[in-house]
Amino acid sequence: MHISEGVLSAPVLITGAAFTTAAIGIGLKKMDYDRIPRVAILSSTFFVASLIHVPIGPSNVHLILNGITGVLLGFSAFPAILVALFLQAILFQFGGVTTLGVNTFNMAFPALVCFYAFGYGVKHNNSMIALGSAFGCGFFAVLLSGIMVATSLVFVGKSFVQVARLVVIAHLPVMIIEGLLTVFCVGFLRRVRPEILGG
Amino acid sequence: MERYNTFKRFQGVLLVWFKLILITLLIFVTPSKILAHKINIFAYVEGDTIFSESYFNNGRRCINSKIEVFDSAGNALLEGRTDDAGEFSFKVPGKTDLRLVLTAGMGHRAEYIIHTSELPGAIEEKVEESVPQPAQREIPVAGIMREKKINTAEVSQINLEEIESVIEEVLNRKLRPLMKLMTKSQENRVSSTEVIGGLGYIIGIMGIIMYFRSRKR
Repeated sequence: MHISEGVLSAPVLITGAAFTTAAIGIGLKKMDYDRIPRVAILSSTFFVASLIHVPIGPSNVHLILNGITGVLLGFSAFPAILVALFLQAILFQFGGVTTLGVNTFNMAFPALVCFYAFGYGVKHNNSMIALGSAFGCGFFAVLLSGIMVATSLVFVGKSFVQVARLVVIAHLPVMIIEGLLTVFCVGFLRRVRPEILGG
Repeated sequence: MERYNTFKRFQGVLLVWFKLILITLLIFVTPSKILAHKINIFAYVEGDTIFSESYFNNGRRCINSKIEVFDSAGNALLEGRTDDAGEFSFKVPGKTDLRLVLTAGMGHRAEYIIHTSELPGAIEEKVEESVPQPAQREIPVAGIMREKKINTAEVSQINLEEIESVIEEVLNRKLRPLMKLMTKSQENRVSSTEVIGGLGYIIGIMGIIMYFRSRKR
């Protein structure tokens, strides 16, 4: 899911960086003192998740965990994911420093969308609705990220349908696993610390 | 007092999350699975052919991925696709720095540069030979003795070239396993030091932000 250095053209990189910068500004503003540790811990989770390789399916994919990051952080997912991606870029050479803006946006924007789409559902008293929303959150965050990667690659002359199909099929096992992981996390948090759900 | 309560709350949240991370790690991360999805390309010259191998970080080969070869000026020289073993080979297209660009789906890309100095000497000599030979032909005007000398010189030169090419061939054969080993060692896997270091960085960044925010309050 990380787009490597030298793949995208300058306009795409700059647009991605601009969107990310704007969202980071909002994210930092919304991140009050009490929430900083939570952001840091989800950033760590995201950082480590990319090392967890899913050996199912035709391609070489790993966990992303942007769904759970989004549903717990909202806009603050942007700074969390930026820091994690930056460290991945310099320590593991995943993605790259120039593509940081685009990659952050591709992964954090779906997180934000899932926060607004499933944030209320996850807090619901009915556990079926809450856990269903949690699954949808983990599932759709990855799906949307795949679609956004395909969209970024359209601008360098790749066929959208072809890339999108490739990315989505490759990530289908990841979507399901992340859906289940999010269910597990939300189920756990509902029992232990219900107030931190839904941002 | 209020600050103490806030601190207590952090502690609670931190504890829950550390437990969660720990559980996740225990379930999913066994050392063999600390693998990544970066792609690598490695190439070496053997005779007049360039061999390249492409693989993901975990050693899985990139099958049917596109490889493009560019010269130092950025002109595309040739392109091809990797086979089932992630390998792709081609004849040296000319005496220039070669840039091999591997693209796998989903925006993955890697490069490998072969410098002119790595290319076999034979190609360089072939190019130069065509120029000095006419000059040599002009010399014999000076006499038979001189011509003889040149002939012996030419003979020894040919022998030298032959020896050189034989040595090169043998060396290539001997070095092939070594090159394969090199390729393998280039599969830079993510080490636990880096992972722990990265986590440390995040905690550090958190600390810095909290420090500045607490001063503001």
